[in-house]
Amino acid sequence: MKFDIDYIAHNNKLSNVNTYLKIIVAISIMLVTLILDNLLLDFIVFIAMAIGILVIARISFRDYIKFLSIPIIFASMSCLLLLFFFGDGKVIFDTGIFGIVIREDSFYLATSTFCRVFACFSCLGFLTLTTPIAQILHVLGEIKVPKILIEIALLMYTTIFIFLEQLYTMRQAQETRLGYMNTRSAYRSLGYLFSNLFFKSLDKSEVMMNSLNSRGYTGQLPTYKPSKK
Amino acid sequence: MHIMEGFLPPLWCAVWYIISIPVIIYGIFKIKKVTEEIPDSKTLLAVSGAFMFVLSSLKLPSVTGSCSHPTGNGLGAVLFGPAAASVLAVIVLLFQAVLLAHGGLTTLGANVFSMGIVGPFVAWAVYKGITKANISSTIAIFFAAFLGDLLTYVATSFQLALAFPDPTFTGSLVKFLGIFAITQIPLAIAEGLLTVVIWNGLKEYRSKILSKLNLFSNKESEAI
Repeated sequence: MKFDIDYIAHNNKLSNVNTYLKIIVAISIMLVTLILDNLLLDFIVFIAMAIGILVIARISFRDYIKFLSIPIIFASMSCLLLLFFFGDGKVIFDTGIFGIVIREDSFYLATSTFCRVFACFSCLGFLTLTTPIAQILHVLGEIKVPKILIEIALLMYTTIFIFLEQLYTMRQAQETRLGYMNTRSAYRSLGYLFSNLFFKSLDKSEVMMNSLNSRGYTGQLPTYKPSKK
Repeated sequence: MHIMEGFLPPLWCAVWYIISIPVIIYGIFKIKKVTEEIPDSKTLLAVSGAFMFVLSSLKLPSVTGSCSHPTGNGLGAVLFGPAAASVLAVIVLLFQAVLLAHGGLTTLGANVFSMGIVGPFVAWAVYKGITKANISSTIAIFFAAFLGDLLTYVATSFQLALAFPDPTFTGSLVKFLGIFAITQIPLAIAEGLLTVVIWNGLKEYRSKILSKLNLFSNKESEAI
């Protein structure tokens, strides 16, 4: 598991644009598409966001497709379920297998849901691919979300990376010692890995907390914000 | 169980937000209290949140507009109480939406309700119930994690069935439950076992903070 999105968010043409603007644009368009639920509008939003991501923010096409691939799989599977197993309207297509049919209302439900998911998802994509998480937390802090929430979020953000680093190191160590040679040893190694992961990470983050405390940490991590040109 | 961005109609997005927000506010007060009383607990809080994040990122696609994965919410709920776990879940779900495009912002309320409120509450109630009966906390933690995970998915099925009551509410509830059950029961057992391993380790190496958080059954706290 790697955070390609995190890397992309820091390295694109829109990273330094006003965070409020990006958040407001993405969320308001998302809400409008969600509420109006119109197929044409969904399509327009999808295209507009793709232009925003690919042309304006200059994120490579490969990264964008990679970002969309998982939601495409999830959304199409879910909508196939809605298409075949839901509804009680007029039958418009009979597959002939186990009496599975496509009905008029389920067809409508599935297509509209699929398009809505896609339009909303590209808004989310626009936001996440162009905005680093630290900036989002900063905005949350400015709109008076309780400090303790931001603090835990920041600590958790660091801890997630500690977890991933531990995971990577331990997995490499196991692999070099042939820990994943066959299925049996793979299960055993995976068990060891996960049971130790938690404590290794706890140790590391306690060390981090001690070093923070010894430098006068009071629950706030002031961050440098580059001034706007 | 993360319901995808845009999958729920706007009405239900709003409903789940309205239900979840009071619990989260209460949770923030709780967390404030715990971290003020026991400053060491901050790291444990962050680590159990990160644990929740890592576990619930191991997703398998499921055909229900969401996906199957362990939730990791049992541990946080038992350690800090259900309200605090709901705050952890908010942060985890926000990060997953923003870092992994997993879940979404409009469905955040619904996802918090299932993973942050129903799951942790069940886990906590099960844990308290079993330890009250003076049964070892190891057994209690297994059932807490197992049921916390499972009930999270039951809640998601309810949410999906309410949003897509087609043709009837019960009909679609049965469909969603059936699909989740296939992947979720083995995952929930695995999560239960993993949580037991972690719990035993915590008992061995961090018993001080656990007894400060007042988590043992009577017999065990006498032994310590």
